Amino acid sequence: MPGWDDGAVRRALRGSLEAYQRLAGGLGTAVLALFTAAGLLVIAVLCLVGIGLPLLPGALAVVRSVAGRERERLSRWGDEVISPYPAWPRGWLARIRAAAADPATGRDLRWLFTHAVFGFLLGFFGVLLPVLAVRDLSFPLWWTLIPPGGVTTSVGIPIHGWTGALSSVLLGVGWVAILIGLTPAMARLQARPGLRLLKPHPSVDLSARVAELTATRAAALDAHTAELRRIERSLHDGTQNRLVGVTVLLGAARRALKKDPATADQAIEQAQSAAEQALAELRAVVRAILPPVLEQRGLGGALTALAAGCAVPCRVSVDVPGSRPASVDATAYFVVAEALTNISKHSHARHAAVDVRQTRDRLHLRVEDDGRGGADDRSGSGIVGIRRRVEAYDGRVTFSSPPGGPTILDVELPCVL
Amino acid sequence: MRVVIAEDDALLRAGLELLLRGEGFEVVAAVETPDAFLAAVDADPPDIAIVDVRMPPTHTDEGIKAAVAARARHPKLAVLVLSAYVEESFATDLLAGGTAGIGYLLKERVGRVERFLEALERVVAGGTAIDPEIVAQLFAHRRADDPLDRLTPRERDVLALMAEGLGNVAIAQRLVVTEGAVHKHIRSIFAKLDLPPTEHTDRRVAAVLRYLESEGK
Repeated sequence: MPGWDDGAVRRALRGSLEAYQRLAGGLGTAVLALFTAAGLLVIAVLCLVGIGLPLLPGALAVVRSVAGRERERLSRWGDEVISPYPAWPRGWLARIRAAAADPATGRDLRWLFTHAVFGFLLGFFGVLLPVLAVRDLSFPLWWTLIPPGGVTTSVGIPIHGWTGALSSVLLGVGWVAILIGLTPAMARLQARPGLRLLKPHPSVDLSARVAELTATRAAALDAHTAELRRIERSLHDGTQNRLVGVTVLLGAARRALKKDPATADQAIEQAQSAAEQALAELRAVVRAILPPVLEQRGLGGALTALAAGCAVPCRVSVDVPGSRPASVDATAYFVVAEALTNISKHSHARHAAVDVRQTRDRLHLRVEDDGRGGADDRSGSGIVGIRRRVEAYDGRVTFSSPPGGPTILDVELPCVL
Repeated sequence: MRVVIAEDDALLRAGLELLLRGEGFEVVAAVETPDAFLAAVDADPPDIAIVDVRMPPTHTDEGIKAAVAARARHPKLAVLVLSAYVEESFATDLLAGGTAGIGYLLKERVGRVERFLEALERVVAGGTAIDPEIVAQLFAHRRADDPLDRLTPRERDVLALMAEGLGNVAIAQRLVVTEGAVHKHIRSIFAKLDLPPTEHTDRRVAAVLRYLESEGK
């Protein structure tokens, strides 16, 4: 058939699989929205009798957190939704006043009720589709086992005899067609209220966002300065000290040459090993700035090489088409290197895995191991360094390491060229 | 001569010890932290202390602080500070309490052993040893209509060596001229820069450094 090559079929299947995942995720936030909406109605009634008012800030915080989840979900699928809220004032009355004045509150509520109803229905139907399809397609295999009278298709039409049973297969084919053909549109429809209402209103002053960006930029500059300081330190206190050592030892050797050649030889020997140390340290410094292996072998090759050097057997899967800014690759490399060092040193794991994939404008990294877990996010471990480096790029770090394992590190880096 | 070394880099510490022992110095103590340094100086004051600028815990200017503290407790103690790079503000801090018996040199000068020993002896004798690099920095930031422009090139050379802390004899040797010629240059320099004439080397170094510093601001 023209236009129906393997690639097109695979793309269509992948598209509907992705749409299915989106619908399921949307169902999740819709259920949250449903409960929140019900809670709000109760509070509204309590407000009417005069005792609900103090509950409002808490309720609003819940609405914002549910809306935040939806924003995160939408952002994860490639449509970044910027949070519109200005900073939250202190005191519950001030909060109610601020929320009442903020156009984002009304938009949040409109989204909440829309999503609680339509988002829920779309999500529920979408998630149900494969079940319906399997039921109706396999119907002829088992319908005779059901006592007569209770036999219906999934849409409730009673079935009498084999013709009916076989026609249910047609219905099943219909479900599959909807599953493949319509789920992408359903997922888009489900996402639309969020995309429209959860963004800052066009009239809203974006100064808060600008302030946030300024802060992240300042963080990036801080990280940059810290990085320069680290390099300066390692050059001055490492490499340069070694070279000074070389000159001191050579000076001593020259003086000793006249008096005591044996001492001179010892000093020259020490000078040589100091020069070799200087070279090794220089290599380490350079590698920490931008690992040469990245340029030679790309991110995939570089990570494979890292994993090969890891003390714990490590599986690597990398799916990163296209190119990214060198700094993103360097950060990704640093993150994985740091994580694998942690795993080798502390985890007692038997296996580790590194997954890297790129969606439109983000690089997703996951490093996991089956070790004993219990790694501390805050103190000591390399996680702090990872966090600092990733946040400087406006990226996200999620880290979980319950006692007993597994330890999972998720990192997202924006990578728009 | 008895010496205490404070240097946190093990290799450098060992190198300095090796060098100084070979030259007949008695290394009383070789330590790696400011606290250990101050304890060693208090326990048995040496003729001279050699101190690295960067030491634990922050690796910034601990050595300068330790040197200043040691001088406050033992005013007669000669101190030579070694640094990976020169920083004028460090020199200013160090020289705030006077220039007698103070040295501030780049670490790599140690490799030129004769000059280094010369500087050590000068500092122990109550003189001054300022790294040529610092003097060059002081010379570098000049403004328009600078009195230094009135100096001849040779006079500038003499001024630089004076700022390093060298005496007339040493200056004459460095520039391969007679002592009388150096004397004449110095008188001319002091007249051109409007400095009170002084024959005492210490006070001369202080005056020259103060002059260069104030001019730079």
